[in-house]
Amino acid sequence: MTRPKPDPITLSVVRGVLETTQREMTLTLEQTARSSVFNLAHDYSTALFNHTPEMILQGQDIPIHLGSLIPAMKSVAQFFQGDIHEGDLILHNDPAHGGSHIIDTCMYYPVFYQGELVFWTVCKGHLTDIGGPVPAGYNPNATEIYAEGLRIPPVKLWDRGRPRHDVMNLILTNMRARRDQEGDFNALIGACQVGARNLVRLMDKYGKQVVQDCIAELLDMAEAHMRKLIAQVPDGTYTGTAVLEDAGHGFGDMDITATVTIQGDGCHIAISSPPQVPYFINSYEGNSHSGVYLGLMMFAQLPPPYNEGLYRCVTTDMGPRGTLCNAKSPAPHMNCTTTPMETLTDAVRLAFEQAAPAKVSASWGHANGCNIAGWDKRHDEEYVTMVLASIISGAGATASQDGWHACGPECCFGALTSGDIEMLEHSYPIIIHRYSLMQDSGGAGQFRGGSGTCWEVEPLDSPMTLVTFGEGRRIPAMGAAGAKSTLIPPKVGRLEVTRNGQTQVITENVIETIQPGERAANRNPGGGGYGNPYQRPVEKVVEDVRNGLVSLEGARLDYGVVIADAATLAVDHAATARLRAA
Amino acid sequence: MKHQYRLGIDAGGTFTDFILADRKGELRIFKALSTPQDPTQAIRNGLAVIEEETGIAPRELVSNADLCINGTTVGLNALITHTGAKTGLIATKGHEDSIEIRLGHKEDGYRYDPDYPPATMLVPRYLRRGISERVISTGAVHTPLDEDELREACRHFLREGVQSVAISFVWSVLHPDHELRAAQIVREMMPGVPLTVGSQLYPQLREYTRTSTAVVNAYLAPILSRYVQAVDGYFQSLGARQPVRYFQSNGGLALGSVVSDRSVYAINSGPASAPRAALYLGEPYGLKDIITVDMGGTSFDITLTRDGQANVSKNIDFLRYRIGIPMIQVETLGAGGGSIGWIDSMGLMQMGPQSAGSEPGPACYGKGGEMPTTTDANLVLGYLNPQGLVGGRLPLGVEKAREAIRKHLAEPLGISVETAAYGMFTIVNNNMVNAIRRVSVERGYDPRDFVLNCAGGATGAHITALAREMGIGKVLVSKLASGLCAFGQIISDVKYNYMAPIAARLEGAEAAKRLDQTFARLEDRGRAELMADDFAPERIGIRRSLDMRYVGQVHECTVSVDPFPIDEAALDRLKAAFHARHEELYTYAEPHSPVEVVNVESAVSGAVERPARMRIAQGAGAHAALSGTREMIFDASGRKHETPVYDGAKLGAGDVVTGPAVIQEVTTTIVIEPGWVAELDGNGVYVVTATSGAAPAHKQAKALAEA
Repeated sequence: MTRPKPDPITLSVVRGVLETTQREMTLTLEQTARSSVFNLAHDYSTALFNHTPEMILQGQDIPIHLGSLIPAMKSVAQFFQGDIHEGDLILHNDPAHGGSHIIDTCMYYPVFYQGELVFWTVCKGHLTDIGGPVPAGYNPNATEIYAEGLRIPPVKLWDRGRPRHDVMNLILTNMRARRDQEGDFNALIGACQVGARNLVRLMDKYGKQVVQDCIAELLDMAEAHMRKLIAQVPDGTYTGTAVLEDAGHGFGDMDITATVTIQGDGCHIAISSPPQVPYFINSYEGNSHSGVYLGLMMFAQLPPPYNEGLYRCVTTDMGPRGTLCNAKSPAPHMNCTTTPMETLTDAVRLAFEQAAPAKVSASWGHANGCNIAGWDKRHDEEYVTMVLASIISGAGATASQDGWHACGPECCFGALTSGDIEMLEHSYPIIIHRYSLMQDSGGAGQFRGGSGTCWEVEPLDSPMTLVTFGEGRRIPAMGAAGAKSTLIPPKVGRLEVTRNGQTQVITENVIETIQPGERAANRNPGGGGYGNPYQRPVEKVVEDVRNGLVSLEGARLDYGVVIADAATLAVDHAATARLRAA
Repeated sequence: MKHQYRLGIDAGGTFTDFILADRKGELRIFKALSTPQDPTQAIRNGLAVIEEETGIAPRELVSNADLCINGTTVGLNALITHTGAKTGLIATKGHEDSIEIRLGHKEDGYRYDPDYPPATMLVPRYLRRGISERVISTGAVHTPLDEDELREACRHFLREGVQSVAISFVWSVLHPDHELRAAQIVREMMPGVPLTVGSQLYPQLREYTRTSTAVVNAYLAPILSRYVQAVDGYFQSLGARQPVRYFQSNGGLALGSVVSDRSVYAINSGPASAPRAALYLGEPYGLKDIITVDMGGTSFDITLTRDGQANVSKNIDFLRYRIGIPMIQVETLGAGGGSIGWIDSMGLMQMGPQSAGSEPGPACYGKGGEMPTTTDANLVLGYLNPQGLVGGRLPLGVEKAREAIRKHLAEPLGISVETAAYGMFTIVNNNMVNAIRRVSVERGYDPRDFVLNCAGGATGAHITALAREMGIGKVLVSKLASGLCAFGQIISDVKYNYMAPIAARLEGAEAAKRLDQTFARLEDRGRAELMADDFAPERIGIRRSLDMRYVGQVHECTVSVDPFPIDEAALDRLKAAFHARHEELYTYAEPHSPVEVVNVESAVSGAVERPARMRIAQGAGAHAALSGTREMIFDASGRKHETPVYDGAKLGAGDVVTGPAVIQEVTTTIVIEPGWVAELDGNGVYVVTATSGAAPAHKQAKALAEA
């Protein structure tokens, strides 16, 4: 390479401006969007690309959004190759073009400088609805992608600065809650423009060439960093297999295997999964990148900034086309950002656990949540939303501390925000009876997994449709470094519907109608533990019991700690020693 | 000022600043070491210092003062060190965990960090009790309050030795009866235990914010009331004419009884007085749009006033705790004189947020610090006097600074020590610029429309460079810059905030009437509270704010207005103000969409008489104050320029200093970069302006990149 080495000071300054740019894009999305999924939940992501297009800054937003933006951007740029002009704005959601799931809609804005394409500002957001037969998009009965919603291949929303109202109208006409959708599209467009404005100012200030040199250097530095980390792992082939449970679809449990081959400072990650199924848990290739990269980051544990240089030394193979993790059209896929992605992430993490046991942390609780829809009598209008509070699970424990409570699911790694319950009740005609931590839900270990949550809802005055998605209702989050739980039922998710005093436990993905006076409680799994639970200090177990995070039974079964007196929490040390010795 | 003196006492982490104003316009700053173990001790020590230096005995001073004002950090320190009271929380059953769930979010920047700990719980789970009761979003009672459960919770708290209680129920703002009845029962069963009631402390929508705010308040209330009792008692014993006023994070003063009850208002008071001070300095020039930057040893605080009103934040995370009450927006960055320069795991040079603090301090202090800091860079660049800071009391070692920079930055990066030092200066300035965007650009303001005001001891070396980077053409540096916040406190007014939820669309006579009556109710309370504190009605001012949004939006935008009677026609005025603010913030408005208001607030203030301004005698020209020259570096080439140094104490009104130059004041050093001119005015303020010859930011940046 003949590229001149940028001076280290300008390099640091450019890095700071890129991060500020990404932050301001994110803020624009948060503050101007209409729908609560966007607004309360922060279910959006932003990124910057160079002209290649290579990702030069990945926002710290939803991890499972961002890996797939890399192949998506390349696919979109290729689709319009030779036909990209100043003032164009491209919209896209199609998984066959590197998208995640079609409800995550992406906006791509080419940034021109002195007549030349230099950057792309990109953002992605989870809309409230994308058309199709089931409100909010998650249709467990779909056997093809066509039954899930509107599929948008790369399409120009603006053509050389001219908005194509006909195209926009076509899209909005096919979606529910049009008012929200228009606001959300405006937010995405606004964010792209805020980003472009900052990048142009940066080039005005330092000159295009200097900025490009700095960015090339930042990519190289990230590459060198990841190579250094990988070089520390002994050469060899490591495999991890995670089980994706049958969430009621009838195709049985499925194994997803990751084979990680380390050679020198390079790494190849190959995924093997069973054939795709006519159910909404297939993942197209682009989306699977997100799971692979997330598993890699759980090993690398790097601080920001993140860019595509990190992944240059990593090659991937998602398995044969037509398999669960490399689906082909028309496989249904709506659930793919959570299921099977979290299982894929676990498989990659497990392979790295073999390769680098010192850097492992436990799996996080997987998403199993619900969308709600119905009629809002207060304003005489339809409502529909994904309930982010219903997927907040526990984080995995690490080698240094207990997992965070209520921070998952794994695919989001703490990036979500669940929204204030009064604001949710103000926006939708519902009563939230419970949003709390759950006893015994954190995986047992020397370091305990974080607690999952329970979200219980009752419709205010009219029937409500409740659609569940995800898994983790039978298999708990996997521990690490010898962690093992004995008391399983509280550690997995489930839906409990209470009608006339009778509670029905549902562990499959369903569409239920809930009447006023009836309640549905969605429970989310806790995170996995780390290390042998019998080595957890007795006083920490007692503290968890005092705080109601672990029951007396949990203390005995999971931790081998016998508490003789429930009132004083006095420990029977002899009995504890016997249990722990066994 | 009817009396001889006014005394301000502002506690900081290391020093407590004392500012003494007299009726002639003389202003003096004194310092005493802070005593976090017994904060009143620092006050006694400071009064002893004043007596030593001026001969004014504490009793003589206090009994002849019209007002004694105290900015305290006892609440802040208790929150930082988690040493507040043992607190119990009474919540709605099913929602007792909201302060631990924290909306399910982990802060950005730590996404994959396996060691970043969760926020420490101020109320552990076993001291949070869920009670059967429920009000719903319409304000109707869904489940009545179970008093037996409540009594059982009180017994539990008594057994556990709980020292303070917070009560916060879902939708209590629409129907406070359950909280009020619960408060009655807690008072009966736990007499003498401080009690915080969510709907009274923070009557606004958002359960998590309200509960968290109530918890922080309850956690601090016993600490603050103990402190207030000690300070009030001490000043009474010295014959104070007026009760001591305490400075709050809303930018106003309050009686001790108020900060004891509403302790959460006292937590970030330190930098909150900067906007008041900035407006005072800008007043003779008619300046109302001012950004104030305050760089100390470890941190950099930014505040902003627009059209004479300070930015206010509500519903923010402060020290990882969600706090709702209106506070002056203070953006804080880990960038100070002690900020350490280092190379990160990617190989990039960074400044801070780690700080060498005051022990061991920057390498040049010679107290064992080995890492290069901002102060070391400024010394190598020639900006600081090697003979020492603080009037020579702290000599600086240039060689130690050079060695630290060479070893940790210049050598690994393959650049000269001078270039590395200028790089440190540039990076720390850019970090500050990015942070200034958070109070300006992110609030819909263009920083280039503002004046930059310098506060804090370490800021002067950076102030013209910051203005240059921001594209700002005018800078104010007061001779009191290093104690500007303490000064801001003694010219502040008494101010209280009154809030109510409203949840109404801005349409029709009924909505107008509700709004009008709500504001009237809030403001009647405010007036009564201030009149009881002897403020005449004509000294009472009101500023209203409304949290509004387009129907369907989730996020509100706050619109601040002066009071006017609200009838149906006036709703249009409010809507117009909202559309304008929305456009300012988000680049667009939707004039045809329906608008709703969610929360309202009135800030009611009682005007306090200002002390006389500082007077500076006419100067004889800057040459008379020239004290010598030093070699200084002003760009990345590392080239040294022989640069004049002026003694600020000898400059008079009207004296002009042309950059490049340095003005040395006793407690601060002001760098006037090439292309800037400073003129001292008669009020003790340097007005520094960019001349037409100043290199625009982008040219300097290009030169740097090419160097």
